Amino acid sequence: MAIKTILMIEDDRFIGEMYARSLQKAGYEIDWTVDGNDGLIAARNKDYDLILLDVMLPERRGTDILDALKGGSEDLIPNAKVIVLTNFEQDDESRTAMEKHANGYLIKAEITPSKLLDVIRQLDAQ
Amino acid sequence: MAVNKQQKYLRDYWRYFQQTTLIILSGVILIVAVITAVVLYITGVTSDMPTALTVLAIVVLTSGLVLGFVYWLMRRPLRDLMAAIIHISGEPTDTTPPNPNDGQYERSGFKEVLQTLYQLSKDRPVAATSSPDSVVAITENALSKALNTTNCGFVLLDKASRITFANKAAPIAIDQDGTKRLNLYFNGSDNFDNWLVECEHNAVNAEKTWERIPNKLPDEDDRRFFDVVATYSKGAEAEVILALVDRTAKYLTSEQDLDFIAFAAHELRGPITVIRGYLDVLQNELQEYLAPDQVELFHRLSISANRLSGYINNILNTSRYDRRHLRIRLAESTVDTVYDMIRDDMTMRAVAQNRLLSVKFPADLPTIAADPASLSEVFGNIIDNAIKYSSEGGAINVTAVKKGDFVDITIQDHGIGMPGNVVSNLFQKFYRSHRSRETVAGTGIGLYISKAIVESHGGTISVQSEEGRGSIFTISIPTYQSVADKLQAGNNSNEGIIGQGSGWIKNHSMYRG
Repeated sequence: MAIKTILMIEDDRFIGEMYARSLQKAGYEIDWTVDGNDGLIAARNKDYDLILLDVMLPERRGTDILDALKGGSEDLIPNAKVIVLTNFEQDDESRTAMEKHANGYLIKAEITPSKLLDVIRQLDAQ
Repeated sequence: MAVNKQQKYLRDYWRYFQQTTLIILSGVILIVAVITAVVLYITGVTSDMPTALTVLAIVVLTSGLVLGFVYWLMRRPLRDLMAAIIHISGEPTDTTPPNPNDGQYERSGFKEVLQTLYQLSKDRPVAATSSPDSVVAITENALSKALNTTNCGFVLLDKASRITFANKAAPIAIDQDGTKRLNLYFNGSDNFDNWLVECEHNAVNAEKTWERIPNKLPDEDDRRFFDVVATYSKGAEAEVILALVDRTAKYLTSEQDLDFIAFAAHELRGPITVIRGYLDVLQNELQEYLAPDQVELFHRLSISANRLSGYINNILNTSRYDRRHLRIRLAESTVDTVYDMIRDDMTMRAVAQNRLLSVKFPADLPTIAADPASLSEVFGNIIDNAIKYSSEGGAINVTAVKKGDFVDITIQDHGIGMPGNVVSNLFQKFYRSHRSRETVAGTGIGLYISKAIVESHGGTISVQSEEGRGSIFTISIPTYQSVADKLQAGNNSNEGIIGQGSGWIKNHSMYRG
């Protein structure tokens, strides 16, 4: 299934606009929420193909959002892939826990928007 | 209490001295009497018996008086010296110690002699032990009781490397089968076990110190740090003696420093993300409008941002590694895939610095067990060094070859090279050669963390260098084939691969629980 719609949950305006801009230019439909609560609601209300999830978020952490969506007995977003994007140094336990439910875990400082596009294309090809 | 019956007392000597002196003096008087008698006989004085007897009596009396007087003169200071020494020794005695303030002593100057003697006794470290009546044989029990009250750890190991004694403060864990083991987390391969093995093979006597060795993992309660001093003497009953000095108070602050570094590095990542990201966006969007020299300017911006990002990663990884938090996740990968992560960046750097970077990996290389993100940082560090330390137009060759169960990746430059003394210190933290400090910028942690990362892959890193001719760095990484079984058994953690299962890798599996 080709990735078309993307939800980005990212509180940093510069970083959010940067990804949104290049993703839109590459032809993706992108919704962007800034706080964790809104992000969780958006993810449950609409079927996205991909969710780009930050960890350090206002209101609700990325870890909690992922746990709420995928950690229960029922996967609430079976059709969506998840890429965790963070600059935060998580401890091993939380990181491992997130990686279990995500399709990718990337350090923002280490990727550029074009690299992110590459990663999304790779996910698509899987 | 064990008192030796054969013990000699100091006061016995005084008795002996008095007796012998009296016997000798009497002997001397007798000899004088005999000689006088003989002389009187020869000279014929004996014919007048009363005169002869009078002369004899006078001579004997005079010599007796003279000798007695001399003895009396010499006996007093000697007696007082003895009394003082007996008193200092702590030997029981009924004589009172001579008082230096006695008027006669003051006049004669003997006061100073006594004072010096008493002063010397004060400086003596252990006065009581030489006192026979108070000698207490310090039993093993008393010693271990005493050792248990200190917060310095002591551990003894016998010839079979078993722990035979450990005091309370020593960080010891007891396994399920009852064997005691040292509960310390050494840093990498520089650990006690390896040192002991080396000593057993090569040493008769050896000593080594490790600093800042924790007994627990970060975030565990009551984590303590020790400086560990090990002494090895081959064949001795306690072949190894470990003294562990608890330096928690000193090192805890630097733990907080490390936290600060990790935190600061994290904060730096935000702006880096934006700089690198927008450079990428701008370069793509402006592609068709940019003149070639402007493209080059963009490249320089990107290179600088990438380097900054690399340094931050080095600092972060070093801080993680030093806190035993560095995590390496091994998976099947190829040298090409790893290099791909930094290929563009390296090419750009080489072009910008006018170096000829040639990267050729044979197509038939086996796959390796690698954490691509970490290993690519190692490649980046070494290639970055090769660029830094070679000259304009210099060639840098990167290639790889299979060697047994390893793939050797070599990075060769034809730059300034290094003398032997530099090579031996090269992988130490914060090490910068005298020359490089003057000429090239750097932090001195790039090679340190590279070595740490390679070793946690179960690999090795080495360097051959010739001054003025250049250097060859070789990174050996296990082939995936050679470690696949262990990896799958260990859920892709690298603990089974690292030599002897010791060091911080083991800690990680524990940390993950």
